[in-house]
Amino acid sequence: MGNKSLLLVSVTGFILGLVFTLQSRPTLMEFGAVSWMPSMISISIVREIGPVIIALICAGRIGSSIGAELGSMKVTEQIDAMEVSGTNPFKFLVVTRILAATCMLPILVIIGDFVALIGSAIIENTKGDVSFLLYFNQVFEALEFTDLLPATIKTFFFGFAIGLVGCFKGYNSKKGTAGVGKASNSAVVFTSMLLFVLDFIAVFITDIFYN
Amino acid sequence: MKSNSGQNLKLGLLIVAGLIIFTLGVFFIGNKQNLFGDSIMLSSVFKNVNGLQLGNNVRYSGVNVGTVKDIKFLNDTAICVDMLIDRESGKLIKHSSLATINSDGLVGSMVLNILPNSEVSSRPIKEGDTLESLSQVATADMLNTLNQTNENAALLTADLLKITNSINAGEGVLGDLLKNETLAKNIQESAANLNETTNSARAGINKLNGILNAVDYENSVAGLLLSDSTAQKSFSNIIEDLKTTSSQIKDISADFGEFSNSLNSEKGALNYVVKDTTFVNHLDESMQNIEEATFRFNQNMEALKHNILFRGYFRKLERQKAREERKQ
Repeated sequence: MGNKSLLLVSVTGFILGLVFTLQSRPTLMEFGAVSWMPSMISISIVREIGPVIIALICAGRIGSSIGAELGSMKVTEQIDAMEVSGTNPFKFLVVTRILAATCMLPILVIIGDFVALIGSAIIENTKGDVSFLLYFNQVFEALEFTDLLPATIKTFFFGFAIGLVGCFKGYNSKKGTAGVGKASNSAVVFTSMLLFVLDFIAVFITDIFYN
Repeated sequence: MKSNSGQNLKLGLLIVAGLIIFTLGVFFIGNKQNLFGDSIMLSSVFKNVNGLQLGNNVRYSGVNVGTVKDIKFLNDTAICVDMLIDRESGKLIKHSSLATINSDGLVGSMVLNILPNSEVSSRPIKEGDTLESLSQVATADMLNTLNQTNENAALLTADLLKITNSINAGEGVLGDLLKNETLAKNIQESAANLNETTNSARAGINKLNGILNAVDYENSVAGLLLSDSTAQKSFSNIIEDLKTTSSQIKDISADFGEFSNSLNSEKGALNYVVKDTTFVNHLDESMQNIEEATFRFNQNMEALKHNILFRGYFRKLERQKAREERKQ
């Protein structure tokens, strides 16, 4: 689940860093604040954009996978067979997937953030003659624990939501093979919406504690 | 089974990589905030911290040496700011250093600056020391001053505009200077006259120079007057004497004037003698009487000589006179 998403997350993060830096650069140059680029990019990516975008990517990649897998098991009555054989399908199928999603998403987000910062540093290095050392020095100068820790903690909840919704939609799929596709689709849609709601709640709570 | 091992390996590597990146991130961020290094706690008391926040950088001579750890009120006019300073950097910071709060650029966050105080020598800082604070002009104060300056500049510009309009309209002396053609012609003529006068003066000076150059400073009187210091001293003495004489003449003139006034006064005898014609007539008559009386007295004296009583005396006088003449 995690390592199979690594390439997707890395490519997404890298392009995110490139594009975000390229788009922000002209505006900051207008204000003569281009030296603030590493600070702005790092805070934006670590606090908000990295976790949300990578969680959305994972919702599409992992949530749909879980929904489709459990949905097909449901419609082919494999889950029913497990229940008949005395195996608890909830513990065996659902809990493991939710735990895996909850644990892996923070790691994917951390790697995705790092790759995004590398992408941003490449643009700054080529366009602004900012060395990698200076770039990452400014990044760590700007970042604080209040940026990193809440963002990392909320990714656990994002992963939990992805696993939970995917499992729920797949576990409750009906109407044969058509239901599998529907379960997969609705898992992605609902998870995406839930991620934004969770993100709002996380930011709200963070704001209460740190500001 | 083989496929499962490869999968597990990849997953393990992913987890390890993620954890390493996270750990490094935490380490670097914490290191920037002096959470892991050996540090010294310092404090300083300010009247106003100008929006300083926890975690803001502490700089010594422009180098980041620590972070702000705590900000707390001591009373209504004093705020204590605690800061964590890197112990290695702390060895260079003296106890007499001054702490100030500045903005990191015009739109940057606040920074606590520690300024070396070279005027006072003291020991290096140690744990729990309190640095003296120095209040500086905050950005808001600067903007207020700038705003006031802008307002003044606007007023000045308005006044300047009025002056320019007046000048353009030909009002006042400056307007006349710029707009009045007659005045311009007069000034041109004056300038021409001035030029001519200057030329004449130059010619005069040249002539004077020629005269001065022609003077024989060693043999001529003018040279003696101009160059001989002895002659200068003599002339100086002469001038001094002239001054004294002039002063005395002035006194005499004053006395004479006073005498003249007295003479002219009607109360004086001289005025009576000089101006009264009746007195002159009387005097003339008296003189005639005296002359007549003298003639008669001479006749009486001649008669007396021939008198028997006094004849002997006069003969005796004649003999004595004759003896003196013989002696001579």
